[in-house]
Amino acid sequence: MTTDPDVSIIGLPESGKTTLLAAIWHMVREAGSVTALKFDGLSEGNYEHVSGLAKRWRAGKKQQRTQTSGMKVVSMRLKTPLGRSVEVSFPDIPGEDFSGMWEKREVDQAMVRTLEAKAIVLIVNGDTIKFPAWIVEQTAIAKGAGINPAEADVVDWSPHLAPTQVQVVELLQFLMTGDLFVGPRKLAVLISAWDEVAGDGLDPEEILSTKLPLLDQYLRNGRDPWRWRVWGVSAQGGVYEDQEKGEQLEVTAALRDLDRPSDRIKVVDGKTESTDITLPLEWLIG
Amino acid sequence: MASQPTGCSNEECKVAVDGKCVEGYSLDECPHATRLSVDDISEVGEDVLSPAPPTVLNLSLGDALDREDASALQCRRTSRTIGIIGPNNSGKTSLVAGVYDLLQGGPVGGVSFAGSSTLIGFEKICHNARAASRRDAPHTERTIAGADATFLHLDLRPNGGEVMSVFIGDRSGEDYLAAADDLTRAGDFFEIRRADVVTLLVNGEHLVSSEHRHEAKAATPQIVDALIESRALRLGCRLAIVLTKEDSVLASANADRAHREFGDLVEAIKSTHGGYLGEVGSFVVAASPRDSTHVKRGEGVDQLLSYWLAAAPAPRSVQRPKTESSRMIDLLDANEDIAE
Repeated sequence: MTTDPDVSIIGLPESGKTTLLAAIWHMVREAGSVTALKFDGLSEGNYEHVSGLAKRWRAGKKQQRTQTSGMKVVSMRLKTPLGRSVEVSFPDIPGEDFSGMWEKREVDQAMVRTLEAKAIVLIVNGDTIKFPAWIVEQTAIAKGAGINPAEADVVDWSPHLAPTQVQVVELLQFLMTGDLFVGPRKLAVLISAWDEVAGDGLDPEEILSTKLPLLDQYLRNGRDPWRWRVWGVSAQGGVYEDQEKGEQLEVTAALRDLDRPSDRIKVVDGKTESTDITLPLEWLIG
Repeated sequence: MASQPTGCSNEECKVAVDGKCVEGYSLDECPHATRLSVDDISEVGEDVLSPAPPTVLNLSLGDALDREDASALQCRRTSRTIGIIGPNNSGKTSLVAGVYDLLQGGPVGGVSFAGSSTLIGFEKICHNARAASRRDAPHTERTIAGADATFLHLDLRPNGGEVMSVFIGDRSGEDYLAAADDLTRAGDFFEIRRADVVTLLVNGEHLVSSEHRHEAKAATPQIVDALIESRALRLGCRLAIVLTKEDSVLASANADRAHREFGDLVEAIKSTHGGYLGEVGSFVVAASPRDSTHVKRGEGVDQLLSYWLAAAPAPRSVQRPKTESSRMIDLLDANEDIAE
């Protein structure tokens, strides 16, 4: 039986799970890159999937949505700063499977094994956080601006309308109850799209407490045994072109102009910024 | 008097261990107490076919809990059960939704969120006050009359304290009102019997209305009378009397009168039942106002939440009447206090 760690990357749709995987795969193999974890060899298995992801990432092309049929597991051997070689497996699970846990209240048995990983990366897209808004406050703002709110058809309740932080808290609670409970776990919270979020001038912990206060309270109060840390991550450095729409963007061209693709990456820990995308992983498997 | 029960038909009740009835009955009154032990029940063998392994793992539904599920969770940590009583449309659901929705923005009065097993239940009751519903004013669905009470659950941590579980009971206002006319109905209110704090709502909209004002003032103490008379409200239970819809009160020309009459109502209940109840607190809230001109959303809810979480006061001592007996034994303890 292997004691090497599995790392599960979890997050709602469009949170950046696949992009993160592509960036990790590229960076640990990029010649001359300085990372805490070093590439230590291929494991058995087929690398076509992750190679395709890294290829699109290098070209500045938006990742296609992860196919919902057949979960892909990417395994790689990495060497820690102390010289220990560990095989790390990352299942590439579609975000719809995680939102389905909230909306349908079930999880495919095939996913259960991967959700039992002791090390979890939770990605939340910092640029698309859905925060609850209340009628009384919207009405007051509209009134203040002299606008009469347009009449609209009433929308019935549906679970997908729930705020991002509520869905994410429930996801973490699922991992700490019932059949998915495996005892204490480590959790790296990555706030993605950091290039967009950074403009607020807040560090990752401050973003967590201001944009995801329910998640922040849940983690800080320690009811469930998570050992957690939070990072801000931009695995792309900016906007990538959507191939399907035939986009050609100046900002993407500027990213491609950088000498090394890994220079696009931003990893923010407190007030410290680096390009080393393996730092959260080093903490997780350390 | 019945002897000490050795067990209970309610699996969640640990009366045999801690001597406390989970339903809040006194031990000699509990209809579920039993002297049967599990050894008395013979095992029944049963051949069953192995079902095909499921392809999905079912997760908790996240909806409001029934009494058994709430009891199971209650055993995990220190808990507070809150019963909320009020006529229809007095703001029960808005108050519960308001507590949860305030936590969406951060700690409330030093109390912070630590988890919940009923997030779906909360999201449902919050929807009609949120912009996502596309309503032009907050709206609350009415709880179905005659249905069993359910519980919404929050794990909360007061500033500097330990995480504790809060279970908030929900039942139709019509059922509570009916108990004032028919005491036997109060026997069904298990959520009130087990409550650490009963929260009695007085509809502020009614208190400023000339049509409803007198009915509100009359019906409120009658509900308390009925619940105490029927022993649905436990001896020593803490009571919070809450004036709801403060936005409507402040928008009315009768605001001062409504506040004064609410104060009188509280004093009357204190005066009549202060000796029976552990503590009586009064609060004014605007949990889900229709208009934020005079109040902000959730006004007053922080103080009520702190009251819910506070520990019950130590039992008060009661002075025995002075004895006129000349016996030495009576004279010895004539000046001693006894706990209730």
